[in-house]
Amino acid sequence: MAMAIIFKAVNYTYQPNTPFEQQALENISAEIPTGSYTALIGHTGSGKSTFLQHLNGLLRPTSGVIHVGKQIITPETKNKQLGELRKHVGIVFQFPEAQLFEETVIKDIAFAPKNFGKTEEEAETIARRMAQQVGLDDELLSKSPFELSGGQMRRVAIAGILAMEPEILVLDEPTAGLDPQGRLEIMEMFKRLKEEQNLTVVLVTHQMDDVAKYADNVIVLEKGKQIASGTPSEIFAQPNWLVEHHLALPKAGEFALEFEKKTGYKFATLPLTEVSLARQIASLLHGGGVHHG
Amino acid sequence: MGKVLLGRYVPGDSIVHRMDPRAKLILSFFFIVIIFLANNWQSYVLLFALTIGSILAARVNFAFFIKGVRPLIWLILFTVLLQIFFSSGGTVFWRWGPFNLSYYGLINGAYVFCRFVLIIFMSTLLTLTTAPLAIADALEKLMMPLKKIKVPVYEISLMLSIALRFVPTLMDETAKIMNAQRSRGVNFGEGSIMQQIKAVVPLLVPLFVSSFNRAEDLATAMEARGYRGGEGRTKYRVHYWQTGDTAGCAVFVIVLIILLFLRHW
Amino acid sequence: MDIVEIKNLTFKYPQQEVQNFNNFNLKIKKGEWLAIIGHNGSGKSTLVRLIDGLLAPESGEITVSGIKLTPESVWDVRSKIGMVFQNPDNQFVGANVEDDVAFGLENAAIPREEMLIRVRQALERVGMWEFADHEPVRLSGGQKQRVALAGIIALKPEIIILDEATSMLDPEGRQSVLEIIRELNQVEHLTVISITHDIDEASNAQRVVVLDDGKIVQDDIPAKIFSHGASLVKIGLEPPFSEKLKEELIKQEIKVPDEYLTKEGMVDWLWQLFSKQ
Repeated sequence: MAMAIIFKAVNYTYQPNTPFEQQALENISAEIPTGSYTALIGHTGSGKSTFLQHLNGLLRPTSGVIHVGKQIITPETKNKQLGELRKHVGIVFQFPEAQLFEETVIKDIAFAPKNFGKTEEEAETIARRMAQQVGLDDELLSKSPFELSGGQMRRVAIAGILAMEPEILVLDEPTAGLDPQGRLEIMEMFKRLKEEQNLTVVLVTHQMDDVAKYADNVIVLEKGKQIASGTPSEIFAQPNWLVEHHLALPKAGEFALEFEKKTGYKFATLPLTEVSLARQIASLLHGGGVHHG
Repeated sequence: MGKVLLGRYVPGDSIVHRMDPRAKLILSFFFIVIIFLANNWQSYVLLFALTIGSILAARVNFAFFIKGVRPLIWLILFTVLLQIFFSSGGTVFWRWGPFNLSYYGLINGAYVFCRFVLIIFMSTLLTLTTAPLAIADALEKLMMPLKKIKVPVYEISLMLSIALRFVPTLMDETAKIMNAQRSRGVNFGEGSIMQQIKAVVPLLVPLFVSSFNRAEDLATAMEARGYRGGEGRTKYRVHYWQTGDTAGCAVFVIVLIILLFLRHW
Repeated sequence: MDIVEIKNLTFKYPQQEVQNFNNFNLKIKKGEWLAIIGHNGSGKSTLVRLIDGLLAPESGEITVSGIKLTPESVWDVRSKIGMVFQNPDNQFVGANVEDDVAFGLENAAIPREEMLIRVRQALERVGMWEFADHEPVRLSGGQKQRVALAGIIALKPEIIILDEATSMLDPEGRQSVLEIIRELNQVEHLTVISITHDIDEASNAQRVVVLDDGKIVQDDIPAKIFSHGASLVKIGLEPPFSEKLKEELIKQEIKVPDEYLTKEGMVDWLWQLFSKQ
């Protein structure tokens, strides 16, 4: 299933031709390859959420073209043509538990597949499977989603998106506000799903450690413009550039730089995770020579 | 979203902007009352002059006022047509069943149209030049006498100002939930009436739930910050009645007197 | 001197069967920064709400700054405490920044002339004076929390309670809030009680209390608590980077010290290790 996403010279302006006019995306040309785990980083107001809303046609570009798989979105694309697209692109919005509304957990998870043409029974079967995927106990399924804890509600909302069985999964800070245990479990679950189902994942995050740990492709936005893209090691290779744009290094990278400064040793490539940092330290220590981690 | 503010307040520094909101609120009501004294073309000319003068003094774009009329245009036309076809007197030009087109009918229609436009212009001027919060403050001050009959004036005005403060927040929230549900395959504003009503449920339920949660959080936060009812609080925001406000009132009173003279009793 | 003293506290929510707190005791020293950690549902928020008198205990005694908490004294107790809650939007009462800071002052019936001074000082203190006439929709989460802090600073309390106040903020917002708190704690010697999952926030504390099921399961200096490494996740705290690195180094068959090391400590230790070679 080829579901690459390509932005070609995309501009987006909010409330055009009014005193409140505001350009949110400026000449964005970007590619999110099929099967990639792409991190989208940038500060508040960099245009991340506007970018996301273009991925399933919630917004259409003011000018430019977006390809999502075979679908083409232009300023002229009609709403009717976007239904098909929305089936394939699941978006987990920030604090997605705000979207829960059904009487029971199972009904809420089954909501999207029903909307996209599945029968009641089919939708419920999918919903049960997805509840299991996100680690919800069976006994919770017949409860009202509003009786659950915050962490459980988050899982219900995520299951509700997974139930669309999307090929592209878009995650907007999916772990914000969770405790560390919940955060780890959910990020690991997305990683597993991506590998099992060969999804394309787009992750918006402020956690550079997560970028280093999970992503294989990074797009950096600043004030509506794309200022960099590449692999995490390419993006994090220039500490000065990061400082200039108020972006942080992953903790392992920061530590590695301090280590280099203090000891005079040099790492072959800047380690970005504690695993690769430990490996490189070990090889420096044992081999004395410089090896790739 | 988020940038849309209630009442379309346009910040500025004109004479009208700087007026005490109490004065503006009183004069707006006063104006609506005295409009009904006008019953000849001279008095309407006078009222239009007053309105246009006020708009010029406020130095806001005239387009805002035209926009203010637009959503009400059908109501206005309907009322005007009723006036035209159902009032009689003077020369009758045309008659069909209960309808008749008379000289007085046409004149009355024109007057009704002028009244609508004047009222809309003046109230638009109030909301364009006065922050919603200032209007709430003015209401509190003007309702003060009601305290004597045990109306909880402080509480009402705090309630009003909190409601105003949360309008943009709730609009943001609505946009977010709509986006989330559209992503789950809901089509808002499409299909049969039944389908459209059904589409509202996934929007309204989350909105209610989040509003209740907000209200609970807010109540806790207010209590933690020492809020124990309206009595005995001091006020941070104050408004001063200035010479400009007295002058404004004087102008309106003069207009009233002239209107009384012009009126055909 | 103890600024907060909790003795034999018992509490349960009306709709629940089990006790949230049973015979609970805790003393907090004046000027101390205490971090309370624990997984969600361990009773952290309930505890600080009890201290502020927002919830009433079934039995037991809570004393704040020498005042015994009773229905009569609750407003006096609250005047000693400033609380910042998790959601920046849901505690912003005023229509704009300066109004919000003034809200607490209005409640305390501070004369207007005094209010004008205090609002300005408090806003300058948190770096938000230039935003005085901004509505909350035009502020970021971090800015809103700074306004909440200004509202507290203006009231000159003795204790600041942070109830996961930084958990919904981005890293920059979190930093700016923590910086202000550090200053209040170090310069003005305000007592800080912070509920958090964030290791950077917890590492500011002089003392960490770990709650589980309404009981104190650990009460120690941060270094001792942080040395638990990966198992910290289970008690609701993100393990410090140095601990994560230690675990990976062990996998590489490198011997590491048992005690907790800060980032700088870890670099120093590695340097010594390398120079021995």
